[in-house]
Amino acid sequence: MTRPGSSSGAPSNGPLQSPNGSAHHEAARHDETPTDATPGSGDAAGSPGDDEGGERRRDTEYAHLVPLLSEFAELEPDDPRREALRDELVEGYLPVARHIARRFSNRGEPMDDLVQVATVGLINAVDRFQPDRGSDFFSFAVPTISGEVRRHFRDQGWSMRVPRRLKDLHVSINAAVSELSQGLGRAPRPSEIAARLDVPVADVLEGLEAAQAYRSSSLDEMLTSEEGGATLGDLLGEADAELERVEYQQALEPLLGELPDRERTIVMLRFFGNLTQTQIADRVGISQMHVSRLLAQTLVKLRQRLEAE
Amino acid sequence: MSVAHPGPTVVEIRISARPTLIPTVRTVASDLAGRADFDLDAISDLRMAVDEACTTLVRLTTEDDTLTCVFTVDNESIGVSVSTRPGWLGAKVSTESFGWRVLQTLADDVQAHEGNDGNPNSIGIAMVKRLGTVQ
Repeated sequence: MTRPGSSSGAPSNGPLQSPNGSAHHEAARHDETPTDATPGSGDAAGSPGDDEGGERRRDTEYAHLVPLLSEFAELEPDDPRREALRDELVEGYLPVARHIARRFSNRGEPMDDLVQVATVGLINAVDRFQPDRGSDFFSFAVPTISGEVRRHFRDQGWSMRVPRRLKDLHVSINAAVSELSQGLGRAPRPSEIAARLDVPVADVLEGLEAAQAYRSSSLDEMLTSEEGGATLGDLLGEADAELERVEYQQALEPLLGELPDRERTIVMLRFFGNLTQTQIADRVGISQMHVSRLLAQTLVKLRQRLEAE
Repeated sequence: MSVAHPGPTVVEIRISARPTLIPTVRTVASDLAGRADFDLDAISDLRMAVDEACTTLVRLTTEDDTLTCVFTVDNESIGVSVSTRPGWLGAKVSTESFGWRVLQTLADDVQAHEGNDGNPNSIGIAMVKRLGTVQ
């Protein structure tokens, strides 16, 4: 299904929009399957014909499946031909599911799992698609499949049972925190988040507490912007100089060296560069809550290692 | 700490000096800071500072001893005082460690003390997190 040479060319159709609306770099680089030409998930009912090159590519790749979709949709639920037809459709559109899974592949979940989840989404899309509604299959399937993968990330990340309401609230809070921080130039207070989301402060406090049960960073990664600050190098230089002045430098430095780059950067900027978590979040390009979590985890790690020395 | 009206709220927790109980204290700390409407950086800082202080003291005492953690909340700040009995002769909080650096960064005013409250057989860490100091 790959087209030699096509991946380095200018993506004429633009990559698929990532869930938070920003074009994902990975998606741009994997511009090699016809699904790239699919309209973004936001306009499922939009005009599929505004993108002619993509239309043509897609038509040639999947044209043979279109009549099968109509046929499948017309079958009675207990029709014996249903299963074979569904298999054929799912197999035929599998590259679409794989492509979407790949867009989420750098977020810490195994690729096999992602493909499996995306395939579940594809099966749902095949089952629910109604050709007589007038939209084409891609406009329906892409958001359905992406939605399934996103739900997987949302549900996987929690280390204890947290009600769905709180998980959703966590997502809203995270988004509000990043917006408010930009405007305020500091981290927001619970009351400010509550006002922004138009929910009681008690709910925000509950949501913040639930965030502590959030194990994985995968959801945070999805809310993350791609750019680190240009000034990171200078800031780290200053932090390094500060580290050299402390007595325990010799014990600490090798342990810092063992940390992943990002964790090391965050620890250096917080404890030797004197930046707040919100400032670090801004420089490193991740959310404040993510910085908070990484800092706490890294401190535990460092403490254990220092203890072991 | 100012004694304005209404007076500061005091919350005192006593735990067996065991690492497994520190998350409980930490949760109380961030809950108090959240209810005092500290900004998220300050809430997270206080949470980590309390974790660090409790961990430090748990290591300087024995499991049979008690760790006392007193939070004093007023309009502008949360004061935290953690203390215990030294587990051996000469056990004291090091102020030249990375842990101490962490505390100094996370809290506004940090002090290690020995023999507080008229009890000579006591070691502890006292710190203050102010509401408006996150620049």
